[in-house]
Amino acid sequence: MASRQELEQQLRDHWPRLRRFAYALSRSGPDADDLVQEVAIRALSRCDQWQAGSRFDSWLFRITRNLWIDMVRARGRRDKRSAPAEEAERIGHDPTSGMEAAIDLQTAMKAMQRLPDEQREVVALILIDGLGYREASETLGLPVGTVSSRLARGRTALLKHLGG
Amino acid sequence: MIDEQKFFAWLDGELGEADGAEMAAAVAASADWSRKASDHRALQSRLQSAFAPMMAAPIPDRIGVEPSDFGAAMARREASRASWRMPQWASLAATLVLGIGLGTVVGSGGTSSPVAVEQGRLVASAGLEAALDTQLASAPADSGPRIGLTFRDQAGALCRSFSDGAASGLACRDSGAWRVRGLFQGPGRQGDYRMAAGQDPRLAALIEDSISGEPLDAADEQKALGALR
Repeated sequence: MASRQELEQQLRDHWPRLRRFAYALSRSGPDADDLVQEVAIRALSRCDQWQAGSRFDSWLFRITRNLWIDMVRARGRRDKRSAPAEEAERIGHDPTSGMEAAIDLQTAMKAMQRLPDEQREVVALILIDGLGYREASETLGLPVGTVSSRLARGRTALLKHLGG
Repeated sequence: MIDEQKFFAWLDGELGEADGAEMAAAVAASADWSRKASDHRALQSRLQSAFAPMMAAPIPDRIGVEPSDFGAAMARREASRASWRMPQWASLAATLVLGIGLGTVVGSGGTSSPVAVEQGRLVASAGLEAALDTQLASAPADSGPRIGLTFRDQAGALCRSFSDGAASGLACRDSGAWRVRGLFQGPGRQGDYRMAAGQDPRLAALIEDSISGEPLDAADEQKALGALR
């Protein structure tokens, strides 16, 4: 079993990817930060559950996703697809109309928000993070066929929302 | 006839060599599928670059040790977001017009506007810019804008909240300037120089949504300002 120090280092190595995934799920920077810290706490306290030889990143992604789902369930949040007020709020945060990097993220997230959760997580893992189908299916605990059909629907919808 | 899921699997490098070569030939033979392949490649590349700032954000010094109550923090943020929906949205627009048009909402003294539009961006200028560049939160000037919090945003940009009796706002470094991300009029608080930046709930929500980690302490604030020069 890895020492706490080794695990912390591994967590640091994967932190940016975890944060990006957490952001795609939670759609909020501060929520994403907190979620990843929570993941770190879980990972460090349950390091015996990680089997050496298996992929550490998949394990962390799985914790992130499960934690997020628990959180959403616990709080009874529903209808995560429609968040017009949040969209307005984000626009309100940026009083200029110039299209720059930060707004690209905003544009991408607006389109991502329109996807059902189950498509968004697959898009985040495969299209954005670059995981393979098999790794994503292991992370999500879903058959490869399900992952692949959700990905197809998600990316087709995104292309429609974002244009070619 | 091309199977769509197989096409995507090919696009994602998931097909074996023989199947992949077969799909590549089928796609190349069809203008529609070729266009679709190029559209989806471009989509992936746009998504990846859109999310790139998330990868550049600094990693916290301490990980996995903070006592955290994620659910409560999230609920608090949601409540603060919900507290400024449409009516405030309209007043924000009004405030911005005021800020740009009159140029006297923030800052005091001088005739130059403290905010200016440069290449489509709303940026700090005049006294506000000077305060953002140099003023330490711990050592406020006797007059003019006061600095509230100094922090890094999720993309690592240096941000500072500021307030004057009449308005408060948030500006972050962007291409060598202080880009104003929010400017809020402080109704009924004119002249109250003791109002800490962040007390306006709209500004508090904006800061909370922007900040990565904790605000900088006095030493880090000084270092960050020194790096601007």
